[in-house]
Amino acid sequence: MAPLVQVEQLEKRFGEVLALDHVSFDVDAGEWIAIMGPSGSGKTTLINILGGLDHPSAGRVVVDGLNIGSLGERELTRYRADKIGFVFQQFHLVPYLTALENVMLAQYFHSITDEKEASEALARVGLGDRLRHVPAELSGGEQQRVAIARALINQPKVILADEPTGNLDEANEAVVLKLLRDLHDAGHTILVVTHSQAIGNLADRRVELEHGRLARISVPSLAKE
Amino acid sequence: MASRSMFLRILWKLLGASRGRLAVALIALTSGAAICSALLNVNLDAERKLTQEFRTLGANVVIAPPAGGSEAALADASVLDRIAALHLLRIVATAPYLYVAANSGSQPVILAGTWFDQVAKMNSWWKLEGGWVSSRDDREHCLVGFTAARQFGLAPGSAVQLRSGDRTISLTVAGIVTTGGAEDNQILTNLDSAQALAGLSGRVSLVQLSVSGTPPEIAAVTRTLADNLPGLDVRPVRQIAAAEGTILGRIRGLIFWTIALILILSMLGVLASMAALAMERRRDVGLMKALGGTVPRIMRLFLAEAGTLGAVGGLLGFLLGVVLARWIGERVFGVVISARLEVLPITIALTVGVALAGAFPLRLLGRVRPAEILRGE
Repeated sequence: MAPLVQVEQLEKRFGEVLALDHVSFDVDAGEWIAIMGPSGSGKTTLINILGGLDHPSAGRVVVDGLNIGSLGERELTRYRADKIGFVFQQFHLVPYLTALENVMLAQYFHSITDEKEASEALARVGLGDRLRHVPAELSGGEQQRVAIARALINQPKVILADEPTGNLDEANEAVVLKLLRDLHDAGHTILVVTHSQAIGNLADRRVELEHGRLARISVPSLAKE
Repeated sequence: MASRSMFLRILWKLLGASRGRLAVALIALTSGAAICSALLNVNLDAERKLTQEFRTLGANVVIAPPAGGSEAALADASVLDRIAALHLLRIVATAPYLYVAANSGSQPVILAGTWFDQVAKMNSWWKLEGGWVSSRDDREHCLVGFTAARQFGLAPGSAVQLRSGDRTISLTVAGIVTTGGAEDNQILTNLDSAQALAGLSGRVSLVQLSVSGTPPEIAAVTRTLADNLPGLDVRPVRQIAAAEGTILGRIRGLIFWTIALILILSMLGVLASMAALAMERRRDVGLMKALGGTVPRIMRLFLAEAGTLGAVGGLLGFLLGVVLARWIGERVFGVVISARLEVLPITIALTVGVALAGAFPLRLLGRVRPAEILRGE
């Protein structure tokens, strides 16, 4: 069976700066990949290209059979709505919408809204009693759980998480990690950008970048055990 | 259906989220709409009222036999019945005149036979000393022009005897009129008396008409009369029609340019608020695009927001404008301006247009690149 994500000789330039330099790897459906590396190593650039937020300068990125480098703006927008669920370090919730409406916003741009389904998604991340709260009334951990519910609501093929616990305290980090683990156990494909060794150790494989190049792909010891 | 309800839900939240900035835009729109609505009301209503006022400034259409015709260019008085039979509602007053060369003692004077009730309607600005001849059928009284009165030493209550050939009539002076026109040298009396003195029963020299309306409406009435009164000249009094047209045209021009200027100023006010709003919304737009929102779909939200603001501003502005129009009407034109409902959709349409034009900075948000915004650039 073909891998769900294929990255082949991927290159991304910002002017003179080479942010990604001939990066290649595959991801199978249901895998949890941790993308790791020091700051400026190209992790976020990689995840932006995988999410259709940025265009590659060279190479090929195929997700669920779609060569996303060849897609126009309109097709990329559709690709993001259909196949990708984003979780950002800064949560990126719309401040004037409630938790429920933030989840429904993703439904709205995907197809049609279903308030009941959105409520259930929030209940699954433990926010069944916070539906009508706006982000300012939620803790960081709660906001990130809203973002996770939003990422999952359209049953995406791939969940892309950029430092999802970067702005959380230990207690909330544990909650979010448990959620990610549950999603992985349920068969979701997850790519997480992280600095955290602990999160890296939870992944099936670690893709490590250095100066835009693929340094190594490793299987964490915890996963092996 | 669910999508529409979500659209309205987001729209409602957008309106609530930026209350401060939107309130500034709403004030700009409402102020502009109020002035537009007031001026449009004034334009429509004052024009109607001014054309009515103009009708007290003398005849603006004259019907007479063609110059150079036979029988000293007299028309049959039946022309009055033919005019009445046309039922032209714009004709405010119809005054026939028969001019007779008469003598008072040994001095010649022009006697004008007419219908006093109609003359009063179209010449309310004439200055009168003494009393008016109140009835069209009054055969005993006359009005004397100011110059003629001085010439013949006449005053209200004086008796005057007029002779034409071997016929004479005796009249009592009811009042002295100052018109600034030919009437100052004439004696005006009942039409039948003048016809009897001249022996010209059933004849008139000309008919003066006072026709209300704008210059094109007056021209239309003139054409209808000319078509239905063959053999007679139907002529607008050019100076009066042109003066009225000029006044109305200038008022309309002034109003048009004022409205244009006010709308531009309102748009600049909206533009300033929306530019600030666009900066605040960059992150939201980047996120919406990341979630799969297409540019047209996101822009529809912002344009609906601007359109709603325009519609509300237009409605509030219309109501304020009605009050303002009344004030302008009373202070400037001395007339009561009533609210014209047709101004409402025009005001709303103009204000929505201004709001959408002022929302231009929000349209630029379509160019936002989500990756840059989400990176925090």
